[in-house]
Amino acid sequence: MDVIVTESLTRRYGRRIGIEEMSLAVPEGSLFGFLGPNGSGKTTTIRVLLGFLRPTRGRATLFGLDCWRDTRRIKAEVGYLPGDLRLYPWMNGIEALRLFGSIRRRDLEREGRELAGRFDLDLGIKVRNMSRGMRQKLGLILAMAHRPRLLVLDEPTASLDPLMQEQLRVHLRTLATAGHTIFFSSHTLSEVEVLCDRVAILREGRLVADATLEELRRRSRRAVTIRWKNRADAAQDPPPFLELQERDGQNWTGLLAGSVTDLVCWASSQPIEDLTLGRPDLEVLFRRYYEHEREPS
Amino acid sequence: MNRGLLAKALRESWRGTLVLGVGLAVAEVALAYALLKFQDELSVLWSQITFLQRAFRAIFGADVAGRPGPEMLSAIAWVHPAVFALVWAHAITYCTRIPAGEVDRGTIDVLLGMPVSRWQLYRTETIAWLASGAVILLLGAAGNMFGHLVAAGGARPDPRRLAIVIANLFCLYLAVGGLAWLVSAPSDRRGRAMGVVFAFVLASFLLNYLAQFWSPAERVSFLSLLHYYRPLPILHDGTWPVRDMIILLLSGGGLWTVGGFIFARRDLSTL
Repeated sequence: MDVIVTESLTRRYGRRIGIEEMSLAVPEGSLFGFLGPNGSGKTTTIRVLLGFLRPTRGRATLFGLDCWRDTRRIKAEVGYLPGDLRLYPWMNGIEALRLFGSIRRRDLEREGRELAGRFDLDLGIKVRNMSRGMRQKLGLILAMAHRPRLLVLDEPTASLDPLMQEQLRVHLRTLATAGHTIFFSSHTLSEVEVLCDRVAILREGRLVADATLEELRRRSRRAVTIRWKNRADAAQDPPPFLELQERDGQNWTGLLAGSVTDLVCWASSQPIEDLTLGRPDLEVLFRRYYEHEREPS
Repeated sequence: MNRGLLAKALRESWRGTLVLGVGLAVAEVALAYALLKFQDELSVLWSQITFLQRAFRAIFGADVAGRPGPEMLSAIAWVHPAVFALVWAHAITYCTRIPAGEVDRGTIDVLLGMPVSRWQLYRTETIAWLASGAVILLLGAAGNMFGHLVAAGGARPDPRRLAIVIANLFCLYLAVGGLAWLVSAPSDRRGRAMGVVFAFVLASFLLNYLAQFWSPAERVSFLSLLHYYRPLPILHDGTWPVRDMIILLLSGGGLWTVGGFIFARRDLSTL
């Protein structure tokens, strides 16, 4: 079953595009990465999903319910961490858990204390006295304490130290294993790469890729470095399946645009001293999605 | 109604309510005491200066030329600008909390990220507002009674008549609050929303005042909210200003309802 479904979802701010014709499906129990540079429409999508913004066109559903009309019912099953988290400065962690529990009509204190222990947060400190990182941890605890079916996290690792980022990843994996769905928005590929099993990439409000990480790796190009036996050989033109990025004396650096077999066959007949074939580099693919107008094949 | 939302609203507003309520009580004590203490001097001054009569007629909304009695002195305590300032300040600051205040401080995301509808939030905040408004006016009434008790002289306010004045003032408070809900509903900046409402009530006050001196203003004086708040006739005759109160209630209720629909349908963005 798909927890999140959008069909031709469009949201415009006057003439400016927020998101355009976005069709997306997020399966239940998945760790779904939502990638895109700043201003690409990630937060707009989340705000439409949570009923803060009305779609200009198209449809968005969570658990089969309409995101605008049934937003109250939907949010009983959703935990949300906003990208620009602001909490009430007068409350401390315990008061926040009690208040949020009272609004949700659930006891969040036990689970909240457990999560605070995991994330090493003192719940007795007032929000106004917390550092940014501490507030982020409290925001995460408040989003997760009611054990939601769907967790929507908008750039959750911002202001968390690497240790806490790892702790969060471990916890999210545990949740996903237990059947919870995680919608993880980020502009950093590396954190999505180590956590998520499926990724959608957004650019200028449009969805330019929606695939598993394995599929994306297959699409991505391998880095190739070649060391020629002498300088004169290095001056020749590269074969069509090799996209040369740098030529430095006897060395070539480039990307493999064809198959490994093509490269090996060609290399066997060349005066090459050394050849290195890198792992499929998602960063390169990701950058291409970001930078180019046309979707890479 | 959601208990958590109500607890949050009261937790965030009790200090302001207490400060303004105590402020109103102190103002009422001071006014009631001073007006009774110096009533002889005021009566002499009153009969000698015609302009003063017209000015007070403007504020009271009734002809006061022949009534420099204890009712008029009691009524001054309920039309003094300090009283209006405190009562309106509470209505304006409270009723711009949602959504303008929440959007402005960026907490609307967290609040509406929970399973509450916008109407539920709007209604719950309104309940807390009505309760705190009643507390403020009751503190003012208590201050007025206390001032009368402390002051020399036997002019004690009639509790029934005082209750009618408070009811009329509460209706005025609801109308100003309704306007503030309406202005706040599409707004993302609380300061701006408060400024707009303040400008409107100030204009309303000035229109009511000018209407006594300038005939074009008199023709449109029905547009002023203060046109429907007249404590002097109430204190003099003891009759309920039913028509005035209904107009104020309908205005406040109508503005509140339109504000609710705008809030329920608008886009919420902290970006």
